[in-house]
Amino acid sequence: MAIRSAEKHSTLLALTSSALLLPAYQAARADAPPEFVELGVRYSKYEEDNTQGSKTFGGSSQRYDVDVAQFHLLAPVADNWAVAVDMQWEDMSGASPWFVGESLDGGSKVVMSGASIEDTRTEVSVTTRYYYERGNAGLNYVRSDEDDYDSNAVALDGSFNSADGMTTYSAAISYSDDNIEPTQGSVPTNTLKADKDISSVFLGVSRIVSKNAIVRFGLSYTYRDGFLTDPYKFYDKRPGERNEWAVNTGYRQYFPWPNGALQADYRYFDDDWGVASHTLNLAWHQNLGHSIQVIPFLRYYSQGEAQFFANIADLDKRYFADDYRLSSFGAVSAGLRVRYEMGNWAITAVGERYETDKNWGVYSGEESPALVDYWRYSFGLDYIFK
Amino acid sequence: MAVSHYDHRFRAMGGLCRLRFDCDGGAVARAVVVAVEAEVQRLEKKYSRYLPDSLTSQINAAAGSAPVAIDEETAGLLGFAQTLWQESGGLFDLTAGVLRRAWDFKSGQLPAQSNIDELLPRVGWHRVVWDRESIRLPLPGMEIDFGGCVKEYASDCAAAVLARNGIERGLVDLAGDMAVVGAGSVAEPWSVGISHPRRQGAAIAHISLTEGGLASSGDYERCVMIEGKRYGHILNPLTGWPVQGLVAVSLTARQCLVAGGSATIAMLKPEVEALAWLTELGLAWFAVDSTLTCHGELTTD
Repeated sequence: MAIRSAEKHSTLLALTSSALLLPAYQAARADAPPEFVELGVRYSKYEEDNTQGSKTFGGSSQRYDVDVAQFHLLAPVADNWAVAVDMQWEDMSGASPWFVGESLDGGSKVVMSGASIEDTRTEVSVTTRYYYERGNAGLNYVRSDEDDYDSNAVALDGSFNSADGMTTYSAAISYSDDNIEPTQGSVPTNTLKADKDISSVFLGVSRIVSKNAIVRFGLSYTYRDGFLTDPYKFYDKRPGERNEWAVNTGYRQYFPWPNGALQADYRYFDDDWGVASHTLNLAWHQNLGHSIQVIPFLRYYSQGEAQFFANIADLDKRYFADDYRLSSFGAVSAGLRVRYEMGNWAITAVGERYETDKNWGVYSGEESPALVDYWRYSFGLDYIFK
Repeated sequence: MAVSHYDHRFRAMGGLCRLRFDCDGGAVARAVVVAVEAEVQRLEKKYSRYLPDSLTSQINAAAGSAPVAIDEETAGLLGFAQTLWQESGGLFDLTAGVLRRAWDFKSGQLPAQSNIDELLPRVGWHRVVWDRESIRLPLPGMEIDFGGCVKEYASDCAAAVLARNGIERGLVDLAGDMAVVGAGSVAEPWSVGISHPRRQGAAIAHISLTEGGLASSGDYERCVMIEGKRYGHILNPLTGWPVQGLVAVSLTARQCLVAGGSATIAMLKPEVEALAWLTELGLAWFAVDSTLTCHGELTTD
């Protein structure tokens, strides 16, 4: 009986696979190039909480504020070609932790750089994408300019769908050439001029597991080489190389009732500086009618400190850093994204709160007094010419 | 802007067709209707055996002589038909149509076996010479007929047109062969009726369709009783005689084409064998036997 049953299912398989050879079904499965020009603008504000007075020398200190304006253009240029242009302007102001010093009570407190940082960053990204029968491939160039930093990056990516259209394989490689020329003035810097290179490779696979569910899995490796020390931090000396690995997994399921989708992603990161981290992302995409989508999201992050991290840097060591970004901590962020479509217009609004705490993490280590909490708001408007 | 429900009826492929979809702009809706009708007409013009200019007519006219060039789409349909032929043990056969010449169901008379025997050598997919580029029917008088799968294929193609136009909830119904598009159809399923095999215009069952296709095959005319025996209209290409089979079968599958091919195979098998084959196929199905008893597990609402 079991054998006969398998035979009949092989009948269905034979019928389905021969039907899918018809060009009509291949077109339906192909990654469709955009048919219309799309334009978008977005404004975001990133606002760090002031560092608490009890954690700094010299009372409460204002930290970073970043204003970001973005412009996005996606245009079909031929049947199978599309070009996307993205531009971004950032205006950063405020103070950043300069170094951590020992307080009289034996604890550690941050010395802020003073409201001395004022910088603007301009980024232009151009992507050209080619759509073929069973996937697409893109070539991307990004140029970023700041007063003290510039970067040129190229990336190549491609995806390929299996014959049954259920599995997608993807791969990407990228290379970035970055130059650092710290602004001289308020604080002494660790270099006058330096550079670094970043190379990375990604391999991924995603599979449709049922009519409403998709899983994905990816591996990435990144190699950084050059001046990896923070030029502005007083006690900072880092290795000239960094090897990073990451594993990504994700699951997405659509529920006909209540017409929403659950998205769950997990990432594990590890590198040869001793930093490791877990990231868990949960989001619920709720459709309300045909024009409104409400997406609450929650992210948990836990990081272990670098081998050479210490609040009170030991300058006799080969490498040292008191940068909170290399310390052990946990972070939770929660937010809400709302999207409203009417005709050719779409409005998107996002609000997010991010908080860190040493005790929320799963890794041991010293607590940095410079951990940051922030608010992020974003408002976008998109138009499609059809 | 509010989403409107569009319901458009048109005639094509020898039957009444219906296109239903949700769309938020009148101009877009009109463009979608035009594009869908154009796609169905394209396939009718290409594959109808009743139209003298169709590719099917050209292939049939060239029977016994030179090969006729075919395109990728036609090669794909022939490939699918070949799979149906293999999987049905030769019961599904694109060349079977010539057998109708021997059978005149209105006369109430059985054909002479000699008439059938005369036609049988011109039936048989294994005789057809074809590859991805061309097809040749080797004997004069041979014919092929895409009737067993082109309407189902056209439903899928029309649904693809809806999807390409950004329609998020749509249903194509080409005289009973249906295809659904869009996530909206999952959220808000289509309730569709399956024709009663004996009562015109009446539904024997209603089902909820959320995705993929639904195809039905049936012997919708009264069978003829000759010398106390029932004869349906579905002919076995191996013997030239009517099959003592089911009177109606409906299936759902990811593609209407696969549902339709499977329905046709089920109709070509003797009743008991057909029910067993359907049970083990792995698709949802619904069948009506000669006593008008319903079988199968196609969800009804």
